[in-house]
Amino acid sequence: MSPPRYFEDFHAGQKFTFGGYDLTKEKILAFARAFDPQPHHLDEEAASQTLLGGLSASGWQVGAIAMRLCAEHLLNHTHAAGGTGVDECRWLKPARPGDILRLEVEIVAVSPHPRRPVGFVKMAWNLFNQREKVAHIVTTPIIARRSAGA
Amino acid sequence: MTWWEDIVAGTRAELGSYTFTKDEIIAFAREYDPQPFHIDPPAAARSVFGGLIASGWHTVAIWMKLAVAHNAKQPGGEAAPMISPGFENLRWLKPVRPGMTLHYATEVTGKRALASRPERGLVLTNNEAREADGTLVMSFTGKVFAPRRQTGG
Repeated sequence: MSPPRYFEDFHAGQKFTFGGYDLTKEKILAFARAFDPQPHHLDEEAASQTLLGGLSASGWQVGAIAMRLCAEHLLNHTHAAGGTGVDECRWLKPARPGDILRLEVEIVAVSPHPRRPVGFVKMAWNLFNQREKVAHIVTTPIIARRSAGA
Repeated sequence: MTWWEDIVAGTRAELGSYTFTKDEIIAFAREYDPQPFHIDPPAAARSVFGGLIASGWHTVAIWMKLAVAHNAKQPGGEAAPMISPGFENLRWLKPVRPGMTLHYATEVTGKRALASRPERGLVLTNNEAREADGTLVMSFTGKVFAPRRQTGG
């Protein structure tokens, strides 16, 4: 495994792709029961009568899956100290049972802290299933440590 | 059923409170945000946070849980499904630690007609989680579709 990334290892325009994540019906139901127990996330029949047109994952689960893929594949291999939010999240298409989700992370901007040995890395996350883009998420900048030699 | 036409800006609802446990924080993060300061107490103690903290996605998922329960209790029979095109300006302002209790609320801030979709409109909300002393811990701008009355004629 390559050594953890520092702030200097990121630049605007950089892209990473991670996945796939198997979105099973069981995972959709488990999340919905815990956090979003509405019929369109729990029941095929009821879901078919809503504007979602069939069983789909909670949007909050879709966002959390993007978080998981970014944490597992990028942030856990970076000298990173967390983020503070999401500027914008758009749920573009339903995520369905059987979808295999992959995350494309694009580095939007990087800026060093004026005094401290850290920098800010702003990212856009695009989550896709096999067919199309499911969600577009723009995070607030994460904080990454600068390398000691910089 | 609550119609878009009947929703009034300024309407505020307290959604209830929730106490985060260590076990739930770790269980959520193992599945959805497996960073050391969310899943590994000794590593979290050495991190900048000085201890285990909840994933921000967990904090906001609890808002949804309480909002769904609140929506289901509304008078007028069957609740309209809460279906949303997204949200904006989600901020995690203070780390959420095991044993913390957050009080959640939602307030209607505006409405938008949708030219391409006459059967429904958009409702904008400001949503918050605060500690008992009023300290703001999380906030975001929500967007939810509401059905419109068919005007006929």
